[in-house]
Amino acid sequence: MGEFEVHRVRFFGLVPAGVRCLACHPRGSRLALARTDGAVEVYNFAANYFQEKVIPGHELRTVESLCWAAGDRLFGAGLSGDITEYDLSGLSAARGVDGGGGPIWSMVANSTGTQLAIGCEDGSVKIFQVVPGGIQFERNLDRRKGRVLCLSWHPSDTHIVAGSIDFFRVIDVTSGQTVQRIMVNHHVEKAKRECVVWAISLLSSGTVVSADSFGRVQFWDWEQGTLAESHTVSTSAALSLAVSEKEDSIIVGTSTGATYQLQLLPVTLGGQEKRWVRTKPFQFHSHDVRAVAHSPTALISGGLDAQLVIRPLMEKIQKKSYDAALRKFTFPHRRLVSCARKARLLLFQFSQYLELWRLGSTEETGKDGEVLPLCQMPEHLVQLKSKGPEHIYCSCVSPCGTWVGYSTASRFHLYRVHCDGDGVSLRKVPKVPKLLPPAYQLQFSADSDSLFVASARGSVHVFQLLEPGGCKHLHTLRPPSGVEGRCLPFLPRGSAQGGCVAEVSAVVPSVHCPLLQHHCTVPTYNCAVSALAIHPSTNNLVIAYSDQQLLEFSIPEKQYTSWSRAVQSRGLHRAWLERDSPITHITFNPKNPSHILLHDTYLLCVLDKSLPLPDDSTLLMNQSTLKQLPETARKRQLHAFKICKKFQPLLFMDLLDENCLVVVERPIMDFKTQLPLPVQQKKFGT
Amino acid sequence: MVAPGALRVVRCGGSALRGARAVFSADSKYLLYVSGDFVKVYSVNTEETLRLMGGHADLVTGIQLNPHNHMQLYSCSLDGTIKLWDFMDGIPIKTFTVGTKLLALYTLASAEDSVFAVIPKKGERDTFQLVSVTLTKGAGQDLEGKELSVVLDGVGASMKHIAFGREVCSPSGFFFLLCSVGWLVLVFFSQMNCIFSLSTTKTKGGDNRFSCVVCHPKEDCIATGHADGKIRLWRNFHDKKEYTYSTLHWHHDIVMDLAFSIEGTRLLSGGVESVLVQWHNESSCQKDFLPRLGSPIEYISMSSDGDLCCTLHTDNRISIINSNLRFSRSIQGLIKSRDVKTGLVVDPRTKALVLNGEPGHLQFYSLQSDQQLFSLDIVQRQYIHQAGLKQSDLVKVAFSAQGTWLATVEESEEVTDPELQLKLWFYNEEIQSFELNTRINTPHDNHITDMCFRDMDELGDDSLILVTTGRDCVFKVWVMVEDTDPEGDVSWSCDFVGSYHNYQATNCCFSEDGSLLAVSFEETVTVWDSLTWDLKCTFCHPPGNIRNICFGRLTCSKYIIGATDYGFLCCWNLLTCALEWSAQLNVVVLQPDPLSEYIAAISWLSKESSLFVFKPNEPLPVYIQRNLCKDKILLAAFVPRDEPEITSSEKYPWLRKSQLFFLTDTQICETKILLTFFFKLAVEESLPVTPFSLLLGKHRHQQAQEDTDLGKLVVHNKQKQASPAVKELLHTPAHVLPSASFLCTIFINSLLISKEKKSAEEVADEVEMESEKAEDDSDEEDITAMEQEDTSHMELLGEMTCKLSKSQEKELRKIRKMDYSWISAL
Repeated sequence: MGEFEVHRVRFFGLVPAGVRCLACHPRGSRLALARTDGAVEVYNFAANYFQEKVIPGHELRTVESLCWAAGDRLFGAGLSGDITEYDLSGLSAARGVDGGGGPIWSMVANSTGTQLAIGCEDGSVKIFQVVPGGIQFERNLDRRKGRVLCLSWHPSDTHIVAGSIDFFRVIDVTSGQTVQRIMVNHHVEKAKRECVVWAISLLSSGTVVSADSFGRVQFWDWEQGTLAESHTVSTSAALSLAVSEKEDSIIVGTSTGATYQLQLLPVTLGGQEKRWVRTKPFQFHSHDVRAVAHSPTALISGGLDAQLVIRPLMEKIQKKSYDAALRKFTFPHRRLVSCARKARLLLFQFSQYLELWRLGSTEETGKDGEVLPLCQMPEHLVQLKSKGPEHIYCSCVSPCGTWVGYSTASRFHLYRVHCDGDGVSLRKVPKVPKLLPPAYQLQFSADSDSLFVASARGSVHVFQLLEPGGCKHLHTLRPPSGVEGRCLPFLPRGSAQGGCVAEVSAVVPSVHCPLLQHHCTVPTYNCAVSALAIHPSTNNLVIAYSDQQLLEFSIPEKQYTSWSRAVQSRGLHRAWLERDSPITHITFNPKNPSHILLHDTYLLCVLDKSLPLPDDSTLLMNQSTLKQLPETARKRQLHAFKICKKFQPLLFMDLLDENCLVVVERPIMDFKTQLPLPVQQKKFGT
Repeated sequence: MVAPGALRVVRCGGSALRGARAVFSADSKYLLYVSGDFVKVYSVNTEETLRLMGGHADLVTGIQLNPHNHMQLYSCSLDGTIKLWDFMDGIPIKTFTVGTKLLALYTLASAEDSVFAVIPKKGERDTFQLVSVTLTKGAGQDLEGKELSVVLDGVGASMKHIAFGREVCSPSGFFFLLCSVGWLVLVFFSQMNCIFSLSTTKTKGGDNRFSCVVCHPKEDCIATGHADGKIRLWRNFHDKKEYTYSTLHWHHDIVMDLAFSIEGTRLLSGGVESVLVQWHNESSCQKDFLPRLGSPIEYISMSSDGDLCCTLHTDNRISIINSNLRFSRSIQGLIKSRDVKTGLVVDPRTKALVLNGEPGHLQFYSLQSDQQLFSLDIVQRQYIHQAGLKQSDLVKVAFSAQGTWLATVEESEEVTDPELQLKLWFYNEEIQSFELNTRINTPHDNHITDMCFRDMDELGDDSLILVTTGRDCVFKVWVMVEDTDPEGDVSWSCDFVGSYHNYQATNCCFSEDGSLLAVSFEETVTVWDSLTWDLKCTFCHPPGNIRNICFGRLTCSKYIIGATDYGFLCCWNLLTCALEWSAQLNVVVLQPDPLSEYIAAISWLSKESSLFVFKPNEPLPVYIQRNLCKDKILLAAFVPRDEPEITSSEKYPWLRKSQLFFLTDTQICETKILLTFFFKLAVEESLPVTPFSLLLGKHRHQQAQEDTDLGKLVVHNKQKQASPAVKELLHTPAHVLPSASFLCTIFINSLLISKEKKSAEEVADEVEMESEKAEDDSDEEDITAMEQEDTSHMELLGEMTCKLSKSQEKELRKIRKMDYSWISAL
C-alpha cells in the first residue's frame, strides 16, 4: 500500500481565457497581459515571471489594447469605447474615460509615456494627454474612412502610422494631417479578399513594418511609399508584431500558432549592407497568436490557447540562469480550488460561477500505484452563478463544508450550504457587512467558526460565523503603518488556535502575524510570496517565494527556524531553483510534523525535514531510481525532497486526512478540446 | 601498355553514374559526369555522349572545372591520381600522382596552383582529412602531386560534406565549411586555425545530423541539409553567440543534396521523395516542386548560367531540368535492381541485354551506348516503397529466336504460396514494342525454376513451344492455339505436363534442332522427344543436383553438358547415352555461345572467379583464365557480334562471333553502395594516350595484325584500317600534334596499300633487326610472367591440363617481338 490514498480529480473544467494583448513595461521589468475575458494580469520578470497581480475581468469590459504610460501606470482600451486605467495596488479598474470614437481597436503610448493615441472604429486617431489621476482628451488627428486596427508612434514622436483594412497611413502628429497613404496590396492584381493590416510598427529609420492577413510581413519606406521587402511568413494571417528596442529583431505571430523571428543581418560578413531575414520559426501555440512582445532578452507570445510563452534569446543571455529556459504559462499562479476537508467537498472557481463537488469514495485497498474502483462516484452538488457582470476575485469553502464565500470587485457574498440527503440547497447569508471591496482572499478557520477576509491596503477583516446562517464583523487587522497601501494581504492555511493570521505584502514581502493584534514581522525578502502556511502544531510559518526559495519562520520564537537557516546556508538544489512554476500551495501532514507537502503546476513534493538536503551532485527527482535500489542502498540515497511528477498539470493538492490526498489535475488535452478549432493545416503523414 | 593479343577484362558499362556531382561546362552546352572509371562528356543539346575520358584505374570520385580555364577539367580517383583534361578534345593534359586514395575534389579560383582533396588519414580507419594538393608545374605529362598540406582533420568522406564559400574582402579571407555527422565547422582560410564550430551541442540524438552543405554564391549564408529532412540557412555565423538560422522544411526524410542558383535567390533540394524542391528567396512559403522524378535524388548540380540543373538519381539516372522546373531529358544508365533474378538475356532483335530493372520492369540495356534503351512494365502494378511489403517481381524471362515472343514469369515475394503469373508478349511492329498476348495465372503450383522457347527459325510459328519447369515437380509445355473469335488471334495454352519420379524440375533446354528437350530433375537429366513427349533417356552424375544444363551446338550437337552443385561438369554423349567426360569444377555460370560450339563455364573457387571455355567434344578447355576478377561473377551472356571479328580469331576463336559479358557485384567498402559493372572480355589493344601515340598505336597494331594474319587467306581492307589514323590526325588540335615533318611519313604510310603478300622472310628480317631494342621492354616481362602464371594454373587444374604447342609458343613470341618494331622505324 502506498503512503497516501489519492483522489485524482479531473472534473475541474477550467478553460483559461485566451491572451488578447501584451504590453511590456518600457524598462522591461513587468509584463501586462490582457485576456479575452477582460482579465488583466501583471507578470514580474524579476521574480521568475511570477504572476504578480490579477485583475479579474468584467463582462462589459473587453481589453483590445494595453499600454504602460507615465511610469508605472497601466491603461487599457477595448471595444466598449472606454479607456480604463488600472489600479495596480488596489487590483481594480478605475472608471473609464470614453474615447469618443466608438470601439477602440488599438492604443499606444508615445516614447515618453505622456500621450496616448487611440485608433477607433470610425477611422479616427485621437490623442489623449496622461495627467495625474487620469487622462485628458487632447485632439483629433486626420480622420479617414475605415477602422484603425493598429497604431505605432515613431520613436521621435513626430509621426503616427495607423493600419486599417487594405491600407495604412502615416500621420504627422504636429499638423494632424495624413502625409502618406499606402495600399498594402495594390500590386496584387484584382485581390479578391480584403487585406487587413493587423499590426504595424514604425521604425526610427522611417521604415514601416506591417503584418497583414495575407501572412506577409512587409517593409515600406513611408516617405517614398515604396515596398522595400516582403516576407511571406505564413499561409494564414500574420496577427501581431513586435520590434526589439534596438530595432534589429522582429517577432511576428500568426494565426496558425507559429511565431517567427525576423532579424536584421549583414548580407556579407563585416559588410555594411543589412537585410531583414526570417530566421527562427517557433511553434509553441496551437491557436492564433494574438499578442507578441519583444523584451531585450526574450520573445514573448500569447495565444488564444491561453498560453503565455517566454522564449529567451540565448545569444542575449550572458550566463545560464532561470531566464535561459523556455517558459510556458497556461494556468494561473494562484489557487482556484478550495477544499472542505471534513465534508470532502471541492469548490471550483470559474470566472463567473462556482461549482461545488463531492468527492467519490472507495472501500477497496490496493497496492502502490493501483487504481481503486469507486463505490460512489464524485457528485456535482451545485453551481453558484455570480450575479452581475463582474468576475469572481476569490472564493472559499469552509472545512466543514457548510459555508461558501466569494467576492467580486464590488461585493462580498456568503452562502450557507445545507446538505440533506441527496438535495443540496444554498442560502444566502443576509446582511453581510459591507466591506471595502474587493476581497482578495478568503479563509475559514479550521473549526469553521470564523472567516478572514483579506482586503485592500493590507487589512484583514475577521467575521464570526453564526449558526444557523449569519455573520458578525468582529474586527479589522491592519498592517503596521508605512507598508499599508502597498501591500496585498495573503492568508495562510491552517492556524493553531483558530486565531492566527498572517499577511504578506507582495511588494515589500514581509509577513505580519497578528494574534488578534500585530504579533511579529518576518524579515523582508525581495521576492513575491507565492504560498504560505502555518503548521497547526508547531506554529511554524512556511513561506514559498516566487524565486523558489523556501523559508520556515517560527512564530512563537519570532525568528527563522534552524532548518530554514540550514537550507539558506546550504542553498537549495539547482534543479529545484530552475523549476518552471511557483509553489502555489503548502500543507502539512498531521501524522508527521516534519513533513511539508507542497506543489506547483508540474510536481508534488513531500519535504521531509528530518532527511539530509540534497546537493547539486545528487539527483533531485530520485524516486524512480530509489525504487530499484535495495533497502540498504536506498537509505543512503534518501534526501529531503520526495518528488512525484505523476499528476500534471496540477492545479490543487490538499491532504484530506492523515493518509488521504486530493489532487486536481487539468490535462492540457482536455481543455484544448474545448477551444475553438485551430486553423486547418495540412500535416504530413496525417 | 599491355601487349596486344592478350585477353583482359574490360569494364565496359553499367557503372554508377553517381560517383560525384555532375558538372556543366561554362557555356552549359556540355554535361560532364562520372561513370565508373570514366568521365563522360554529354552534349545537352543533341543528347549524345560525345566523349569518354578514360585513364583512371579506379572509380572517379570527383570532377571540377579548372577555375582558370573553363575548357579544362580536374578529376580525381580512388587510384590516387588527379588528372587534368581538355574535355573538349577528350585528352588528358596532365596527371598528378598523389599516392593515396582521393575521395573528393574541390577547386578554388584564388588558389592558383593547388586543389583541395579529401584523403583517408594514414593509420586511422574512417577518419579523413582535407588536404591542399600543390600541383607542380612541370613540362611532362606525368607529374608528382605529393606536396600535401593538411587543412583539416576529421572531415566527412562525402563530397557533400564540404563546401567552399565566397571570398570575403575582410582580412579573414575566404572561408569554407565542413559539416559532418553532428557538427558544422567554419574555417577562415587565411587563419588556418580559426575554426568556428556551430551546433555541436545542439544536436541531440542522431536525427538532425548534417547530410550536406552548400554556400550562398553572393551572400554569407550557408545552407545545410539534415537527416530529419530540414534545411537550415545559417547567417551571421562568424559570431559565436549571435549566429542565427532559419529552417525550411518540406522533406520527410534526409535531404540528400542542395544547390543554390547562381544569384542565390533559388535553392534546390532533393531527397528520397524523388521530388526536386525549389525554394525562392529562402522563404518557406514560396516553393515549387518537380515531382515524380522516379527515384531518390543523390546529387544536384547547377549550370553556371542558371539555365539548367541536373539531378543524379540512385537508379543510375541523370535528369536534366530546365530553370522553370521542367523536366528536359534524362540519361538512364543500367538500373541495378536488388536481385537480378531474370539472369542476363540477350534480346535477339536489338542485341540489348535484358534484365530486371525498376521493380516489376524489364530493362533493355544497350552495351554499346551504356544506356538503357527501354523499360517494359511487366507487373503493371503500382510499386509501393515500403519495407516488409510483399511485392510482385519479375523472375524469369525468355525470348523466342527472332525476338517476336517474350515470356515472363512474375511472382510475389511470399515464400510459401507464391502468386505466379506467366505472361506472353508479342512484339508489335507497329508500335515497336511488346504487347501482352496471354496471361496465365498460376502456371505452376510452386516457383518456376526455368523456362525456354523451342526456337527454330526454319519451321515458323507452328514449332514455337514454351517449356516451363517448376518446383511442383512437373514441367509444362505451352503451345499457341488459334482463338475461336473471328479476329483469328492466337493465345497460349498448356499442351503437355511431364514429370519424373516426382522430383523437382530445375532446368530445361532444347537441343539446337528442337527435336530434343532436356529437363533436369534434381540429380537427373532427362531427355524427351519434343514431338511425342516420350522420355528418351536419362543421365545422372551423383551426388549433387544438376545446376545447369545445355546442349552442344553445331558440330557438338550430340553432347549435353550439365553442371552439378557438387562441383562436377559432365558431358554426356546422346548417341551412346554415356558419360563422355567429366571434370571437377564448381561451375556457377554455364553459358553456351549461340553462334558457335563453344561453351563458357565460370567457376567460383576460393574467392576468385575463373573462366573456362571449352568445346563439348574435347575434355580440354580451349581457354582458361584464372582470377578473372575478384568479385563473384553472378551472370554471363554471349552477345552476338554484328559482324564476326577476324583479328582475334586465331587465338580466341570462341570470341569470333560473340562477345562474352558478365555481371558482378562490386562493393565499395566506405560507402556501402552496391554497384554493378558489366565487364567484357576483349582483345587488348594498346591504349591511346595522346593522339600521337594513338596514331602510332594504330600502326603498330595494324602491323601486329598483319603479322598474325600471315600465311592466311584473309582479305584485309587496309583502307579501312588506316582511316581512323587519318581521322585522328585531322581531328587532333594542332597545338598538341608533333611537327608535320614527323607525321608526314606515318600519314603517307597509312594511305598506302600495303603489300599483302609480304614474304615471311622479310618480316622475319625486320624482327631480327628490332628485337634487340625491344628486349628490355618491361611489357615483355609481363607477358612472360603471364604465361608462367597460365601454365601454373594449368598444372593446378589437374585433369584439365592443357599446354600450348611448341609452334604456338613460337608464334606468340614472334608476335611479341614484332610489337614495337615500328617505333624505331619511325
